[in-house]
Amino acid sequence: SIILKVMSSKSGLLRSNSLGYTSLLTFVILALAWFVGFASRLFAIVRFESIIHEFDPWFNYRATAHMVEHGYYNFLNWFDERAWYPLGRIVGGTVYPGLMVTSGLIHHVLDLLNFPVHIRDICVFLAPTFSGLTAIATYFLTKELWSAGAGLFAACFIAISPGYTSRSVAGSYDNEGIAIFALQATYFLWVKSVKTGSVMWAALCGLMYFYMVSAWGGYVFIINLIPLHVLVLICIGRFSSRVYTAYSSFYVLGTILSMQIPFVGFQPVRTSEHMPALGVFGLVQIVAAMQYARTRVTRAQFLTLFIGGLSVALGVGLVGYLALVWGGYVAPFSGRFYSLWDTGYAKIHIPIIASVSEHQPTTWVSFFFDLHITAAVFPAGLWFCVKNVNDERVFIILYAVSAVYFAGVMVRLMLTLTPVVCVLAGIAFSLTFEKFLKSDEHFRGSSAGTDNKQYDKLKKQKGSEGADQTSSSPDGAPVSEDPIGPNVRSIVSFVMSILLLMFVVHATYVTSNAYSHPSVVLQSSTSNGGRVIMDDFREAYHWLRENTPDDARIMSWWDYGYQIAGMANRTTLVDNNTWNNSHIALVGKAMSSNESAAYEIMRELDVDYVLVIFGGVIGYSGDDINKFLWMVRIAEGEHPKEIREANYFTEGGEYSVGAQASQTMLNCLMYKMSYYRFGETRVGYNQAAGFDRTRNYVIGKKDITLEHVEEAYTTENWLVRIYRVKKPANRNGVKYTERKIRPTGGHKSSSTVGRSGRKGSLKNKAVVIKGKRPVTA
Amino acid sequence: MKLLLLLLAASAAADRVLVLVDNMSIRESHSIFFKSITDRGHSITFKNADEGSLQLIKFGELQYENLILFAPSADEFGGTITAAEIARFVDQGGNVLLAGAGSNVGAAVRDVAADNGFEFADQLIDHVNYDSVLDDGTHTTVVASAKSQLMEAPLIVGDRSKLGPILYSGGALVAAPNNRLRLDVFKASSTAYSHDPTKPIKDYPSAVGRQAVLVSAVQARNNARLVLTASLHLFSNQFLSATVNKEGTKPSPSGNKAFVDSLAKWVLKETGVLRVKSVDHHKVGEKEPPREYTIMEDVDYKLEVEELKGNKWVPFDGKDVQLEFVRIDPFVRTTLKNKNGVLSARFKLPDVYGVYKFLVDYRRVGYTHLLDVQQVSVRPLWHTQYERFIRSAFPYYASSFSMMASLVVFSFVFLYHKSDPVVAQAKKTN
Repeated sequence: SIILKVMSSKSGLLRSNSLGYTSLLTFVILALAWFVGFASRLFAIVRFESIIHEFDPWFNYRATAHMVEHGYYNFLNWFDERAWYPLGRIVGGTVYPGLMVTSGLIHHVLDLLNFPVHIRDICVFLAPTFSGLTAIATYFLTKELWSAGAGLFAACFIAISPGYTSRSVAGSYDNEGIAIFALQATYFLWVKSVKTGSVMWAALCGLMYFYMVSAWGGYVFIINLIPLHVLVLICIGRFSSRVYTAYSSFYVLGTILSMQIPFVGFQPVRTSEHMPALGVFGLVQIVAAMQYARTRVTRAQFLTLFIGGLSVALGVGLVGYLALVWGGYVAPFSGRFYSLWDTGYAKIHIPIIASVSEHQPTTWVSFFFDLHITAAVFPAGLWFCVKNVNDERVFIILYAVSAVYFAGVMVRLMLTLTPVVCVLAGIAFSLTFEKFLKSDEHFRGSSAGTDNKQYDKLKKQKGSEGADQTSSSPDGAPVSEDPIGPNVRSIVSFVMSILLLMFVVHATYVTSNAYSHPSVVLQSSTSNGGRVIMDDFREAYHWLRENTPDDARIMSWWDYGYQIAGMANRTTLVDNNTWNNSHIALVGKAMSSNESAAYEIMRELDVDYVLVIFGGVIGYSGDDINKFLWMVRIAEGEHPKEIREANYFTEGGEYSVGAQASQTMLNCLMYKMSYYRFGETRVGYNQAAGFDRTRNYVIGKKDITLEHVEEAYTTENWLVRIYRVKKPANRNGVKYTERKIRPTGGHKSSSTVGRSGRKGSLKNKAVVIKGKRPVTA
Repeated sequence: MKLLLLLLAASAAADRVLVLVDNMSIRESHSIFFKSITDRGHSITFKNADEGSLQLIKFGELQYENLILFAPSADEFGGTITAAEIARFVDQGGNVLLAGAGSNVGAAVRDVAADNGFEFADQLIDHVNYDSVLDDGTHTTVVASAKSQLMEAPLIVGDRSKLGPILYSGGALVAAPNNRLRLDVFKASSTAYSHDPTKPIKDYPSAVGRQAVLVSAVQARNNARLVLTASLHLFSNQFLSATVNKEGTKPSPSGNKAFVDSLAKWVLKETGVLRVKSVDHHKVGEKEPPREYTIMEDVDYKLEVEELKGNKWVPFDGKDVQLEFVRIDPFVRTTLKNKNGVLSARFKLPDVYGVYKFLVDYRRVGYTHLLDVQQVSVRPLWHTQYERFIRSAFPYYASSFSMMASLVVFSFVFLYHKSDPVVAQAKKTN
């Protein structure tokens, strides 16, 4: 609501005609946007504590702590023997180091200023801090695209937009937290360099792109979107020397810089995802040569040259690309890329990608949930951009169209859609407010519109050399000519303000209720409204840390790998860096095999403890039994002979652990470990024993005995269960029931409880008879 | 002084042996066997198996290192000893010699055998190979040939080619199919079967021919040793000093004495005991093991192994010990060179990073299981360890230097070469 107050007061203050006031106002609004964005991301800390959230952030935090402790080069060459046992992981070469370096740098600077802050606090607060920078970058981008007013709207939107907040609350220490800032800044610098055609801006853009590459794998989006922009500019005849300068400088610098990141390495020249950028780079050279040639040769010659040259170049390029792919020099498109175009692709070919919930297609609800009113308004902004198109607006149009598509494919990519929605919604709101508040201003004598105009003109004068501004004036739209009644004006303005207010309320509500859960700590409420905190995860990890040997190897599904490494400091077999599918499949196979087959795998991998997440007692739906089908699928992908998905279904073809569950299901290690001793418990007074609260039925098999593993620890709410893998039996005994020989005269087992002073019994006790020799048995 | 040292050494090696008998007369009837044990420096305590004061483990500590159970008829042991307690005793490293009998085997003894994967069958009868003098007509005093019925295991049975025929009288052992730790040291001949000699045969005997195991040795996974047999007579003075008379062969002294002595030596851990004295691995040319190895490095591995011989640890002289360098699968497998008990190897680490184990897993019949695992990590090259100048990069060096040169030339031309303004004007108007 602070923003709104500022928004409404803005129009009032704008009356003063001075540039100083405008700058001050801009500064104040941006500062407030930063502050509000920062503050609204602190719900998680206020509710819980200053803690790293979820899964990936735990690794990022661990890596950052390692870097701060051992220095950058040690981090770059860090071979982590505690992950992916026994394969190990080269962290420096498999990570985007931008996040760690950023927080390490902040830590270092604060240290130099004699302001010691624990690195964890820097990690926790990094994303909220960067949200303010994102707002500022968005402001500049929108200002370049439209006007300063639209920029302020966009900055305020992005500061609190739930789609972005979801990945940047305090404690959510992940790449996306700083990558969105880098993304927006790169786009701003790109737009700026296209507008000015200056090598300096293009070089800055390349540098910013480098930062983006170092921060997030999403840089591929940039390196495809910018070439697309250039390509479209060429196609619609807007190619100019500015575009040529900007793209050539950006591509060369950006590519060379991006190859400095060890994880990226030679990918920019060796994978298909990066080839379009290279192709467009070649094309730009050809087109520039054509333009140069056009003024020097006759029209007929030019046409031959143009058509011939272009077709030859395209042909050679295409054939060359295919030859390189065929020869193995350039990797073909990866599965992740295909899954962007065919949403069913991953489910069939790469179950490990499809198993991640954030890779699922987006529902309509989540568009509204994450964007609220801006989702409805941004098409209007897009329309204004299409109507008053110029070079840089082509860019935002392409950005919007592609981001909308990708956001529809994967929930996760909602994140890249949010910035462009905020930009376009800012444009739409700014334009509408301009239109409906302007005559009000006229009436009072001084106008926000003219003020805006002057401000824009000033800016244009600065950088308008060579830019074709004829049709691109932001205020060129026929706005002030239409006569609109004062009632309509006030009603529209009022409704718009209400919408903005609702956006703020919604954003705050969503941030507070949906996106501020650390997921390391669970929260539920009692019937009378009290809060119950369930700290089972940390309880279990702490138990591991205190009670297991330092080199103990913990097997769990990969989701918990980073947390075990980060919180329990123990060796894990697989983790959230899902780089080795066959290793994960091996763990999946162990979980879905019967106990003795699993034991063999676990012995082979030197597993000491197994950890499962079980939600049946408290009704936690994200537990391993619900994920189990993915384990089976991933295991089946690698071991189709041993594991068959169909064996885990009931006869009716359903997935169930209830009475109809198949024998394979009831005997697999995961079922046994999840439900061991569960049949003895009752979760409620009126529930049958063994009633699973998550699945809402009684489990299929209650009397579970374990042979090769034994229960080591179960947390308070049974959420985490830890099992110890037994050593092989010291002796191979034969059980009483399996004995073949029954001695005549009935066999009684010897007493099992011995105590001192108890007399034993012998079959033929020697009796001493005087005068007789003892007889031996 | 020397005597004192010898005494000290003897007392250090002296193990406490508890002998449980069901009848104190066994002490007399098996005195030769017991004497040979005490002669080797062990101290024997005799107890009746049903005594109320019996105790094997006290406050979690073993009261005896070895247990000889010569009480086949024990239905229940006295005191705190039960079959479960004996199992615990074995799991804590105690050794057991258990002798059963042909008939009347007590429940407790059966339980102890079952805990180690054996069951007692009835009296062993062999109508072909029996002693014509000692046998009472039931053909239960069996004469066994050392060569064909003993296992080729010099550490357990001694040199079987030098052993005389062995007298045996008692039941037979039937091994459970899952019992993979057993060594069938002494098997019955193919003409033998087990049954009660006084009763007519109605159903199939539970042990027939070479399935019937007469003496079995078990080395548990913690290297505790057990010898089980179904004959207490095997150890008796009568058999140890007997002359064997078998139809069709010359009378000869029995091989029982040498056989049971070598069995006792094995089960009391006097022979076939190996231990790792020290293990060391490091890069070639260095002394200390590094925190982590780098791929493709040359590594020295050294393992010092000792064998217990006559109460003294002497260097082990085995030549067939292998070293494996394992990351799930072995990447390197090499035979260690033995130089006076120091087993060593030098090899190049594989070009694959990961967490590896130096693994020596030496299992030979009669020897304790020698296992040594050293976990090390093998990391990839540091970013500074790659070659700096490679030949295939020469075109790139050339291009960068030519680029620098041309930049200089270009700047020079750009700064100092004035083009004709008229020509430029003309071009523009085109």
